[in-house]
Amino acid sequence: MQTINLHQLEKILYHVEKPGRYVGGEHNQILKEWDLVRTHVCLVFPDIYDIGQPNLGLAILYDILNQPPDILAERAFAPWHDLEAQLRENNIPLFSLESKHPLAQFDIIGLSLPYESLYTNALNVLDLAGIPLLASERSSEHPLIIAGGQACYNPEPMADFIDAFVIGEGEEVTLEFIRAFEALKQAGADRKALLQSLSTIPGVYVPSLYNVSYAQDDTITGVTPSNASVPAFVTKRIVSELPAHPTRLIVPNIETVHDRLSIEIMRGCTRGCRFCHAGIVSRPVRERPVSEILQIIEDGLAATGYEEIGLLSLSSSDHTQILELTKSVYEKFHDRKISVSLPSLRIASFSVALMDELRDIRPGGGFTLAPEAASPRMQAIINKPLDDAVFEETVRTVFEHGWLSLKLYYMIGLPGETMEDVQAILDAGKRVQAIGRQIRGNRVRVHLSVGNFIPKPHTPFQWYPLNSNDELQAKLDLLKTGLHHTGIKLSYNIPDNTLLEAWLSRGDRRLGQVIQRAWQLGAKFDAWGENENMPFWRQAFTDIGMDPDFYAYRERGLDEILPWDHIHTGVTKAFLHRDLEWSKLGKTRKDCREQCYSCGILDAFADKRPVSPLIYWGCP
Amino acid sequence: MSNESIRIRMTYAKLGNLRFIGHLDLQRLFERALRRTNLPLRYTQGFSPHMRINLASALPLGFIGQAEQMDFWLDQEIPLNEISSRLRTSLPSELILKDLQVIDNKQPSLQASLLSSEYEILLPADIDLQILKDQIGTLLAQDTLPVQRRKKTVDLKTLILDWSLPSDSPVTILKMYMMSSPLENGRPDEFLELLGIDPADCLVTRTKLIFEEE
Repeated sequence: MQTINLHQLEKILYHVEKPGRYVGGEHNQILKEWDLVRTHVCLVFPDIYDIGQPNLGLAILYDILNQPPDILAERAFAPWHDLEAQLRENNIPLFSLESKHPLAQFDIIGLSLPYESLYTNALNVLDLAGIPLLASERSSEHPLIIAGGQACYNPEPMADFIDAFVIGEGEEVTLEFIRAFEALKQAGADRKALLQSLSTIPGVYVPSLYNVSYAQDDTITGVTPSNASVPAFVTKRIVSELPAHPTRLIVPNIETVHDRLSIEIMRGCTRGCRFCHAGIVSRPVRERPVSEILQIIEDGLAATGYEEIGLLSLSSSDHTQILELTKSVYEKFHDRKISVSLPSLRIASFSVALMDELRDIRPGGGFTLAPEAASPRMQAIINKPLDDAVFEETVRTVFEHGWLSLKLYYMIGLPGETMEDVQAILDAGKRVQAIGRQIRGNRVRVHLSVGNFIPKPHTPFQWYPLNSNDELQAKLDLLKTGLHHTGIKLSYNIPDNTLLEAWLSRGDRRLGQVIQRAWQLGAKFDAWGENENMPFWRQAFTDIGMDPDFYAYRERGLDEILPWDHIHTGVTKAFLHRDLEWSKLGKTRKDCREQCYSCGILDAFADKRPVSPLIYWGCP
Repeated sequence: MSNESIRIRMTYAKLGNLRFIGHLDLQRLFERALRRTNLPLRYTQGFSPHMRINLASALPLGFIGQAEQMDFWLDQEIPLNEISSRLRTSLPSELILKDLQVIDNKQPSLQASLLSSEYEILLPADIDLQILKDQIGTLLAQDTLPVQRRKKTVDLKTLILDWSLPSDSPVTILKMYMMSSPLENGRPDEFLELLGIDPADCLVTRTKLIFEEE
């Protein structure tokens, strides 16, 4: 098989910014002999290298797929505008970083779709590869296009373009999928027969094998499999315990957004915040034991030479051995000239104590806390209760223990929010500043980072409408005016960016036409800048004859069939509904390690729960 | 750590894909590669210690380097063959270790003693040698050769020390010697542009770094 014209590539690389994005050749990259391998997979993260390469999911799949000698996995990313222009002008197809083969020559292209703003980039990547965008226009001569990642828990908006989605955790199903693919290919199955057969693998969703019908009011009346052997619903895949962590991670040659050794210390979260997509879809909690984490750090540092470690999870303070972990990390590694970051800490003095354990091996900078809501009423609605005294005590401890800067994450646009609730954010910021100044004087810096709430599928808030741009703007204005001349920093998202994510995250498969149209009009890199692409998106809705408000601003009926109802996360719709009712009553739930609320996860994965009590699942 | 540090001078080649990695990125790449060797590396003192390394000269993006140099320091003596074997497994495959030497700490820094560089430019095959020779002659006969670098103008003529077109080569090669001090750095790609040749059509290799004699 032919690689692209390397001489031509080298020539155009002189004319682009950061050419190191496109050449591969990093330490720990795996380059196999193309012709000696049976199945060629290209893992594509449709954002630029700088953002995509540090993604841990990508590293995990790269590691798993390259272990068998008869499979190779290479990488490709979305080219930045300058290289894209050069590729199009010179008729060079998009290529993989390792062997520089055109994407179209791979057997399988695995798209990472962790967030919705990558959808147009995904289409652009296929187009740059010369691969037909629509699954219906592809045949056995084209690579099979599969996709996975957090956004795929609602696969419908991308249903037209993807042959098969892998729902949930990819560690086990990926190889199963590829082995099945190989057997079918060898048996001479055409694309249709191949997909039909792949659809029976648990966790694999082949959208073309489902028919969606709609009512007069555009809501869905049914999602039905096109034949009896296609499963009526697809349940996500999970692993019983966290598998071996990759340590021979690719070390980028150019600077990336997270230039560090990232280690997943825990998956899942037991807190049950009602706005949180990750908190639902990543259940149940599975921890990595301290001894294993220490070994991963040891091996990872030796293999990469990184100077920073990130210990990642959704809620680090909730790891049952977290204090032991931070103590051991300090003892073992404090003289290695590295820094350790421990993000996602709960608001409690205990968290400050954890950071203290890492004293002189923390990266410089401030402390970060995420109350999300400031008024007790809103805190109850979102199920993130926070005792005022605990909050103040934590803030005091942060400043007393030497930090000068504190960043606080909040959300606006939450269900049932009033201007008083927004005012409470303002007041909290000022209170924090006053406490800080009392302890450390005027050097103290307080930063409020305010995000706009977006209702997400599979959460108790999935039925709620998005706040209108005017509502969000009024709330932002209140904050801006209130913080004027206080010295408190405010950062926020512009409402238009929120709107785009809101359309796509709860869309149905009819949105595919809109995505394609928006891309044709020029939309890509939708998460970048001040969203200059919005006119393209509005135009696309008009051209296709669809109403964007239907997706963003409509309160959905509780009896409605939601576009993602046939994708099961293990958490039942009945539980989500019950939790929504609790939210409306202002009722909170305890951490689910203390009490089981029967969300459904244990029933769905009863067979997956490890028998050994030594392997910890967060459920009681 | 008040003990005397050991200064190691490494000569290396930067090839292939790594041509497209810039100077700051290369520096970070070396730091990580050196960390992987697990050698007793010397760090600066102070609140945020940095690895002590020192690269002779930035190689422009896209150029190959055949004999680039850099210094790093160790806290204790390690046999050179041990350092060499550890480096070989730690360096990315397109950074080739060519030589290691122990250097007296009293010697000036690489940057301070670097005078000039030798370049070999592989020119496009369709270039007519005689025309090129005349063109170069005409260019260098001018009093000045002003080129624009960001906001300032540089006289490239003062930075060109010598040139030749070796006739014994099967391909068209232009050899150039140019100034390489931090303040007066000649860039062969700028000269190619003056000749109306797109540097992207050529392959520029820095073949030698020339230092002040002791």
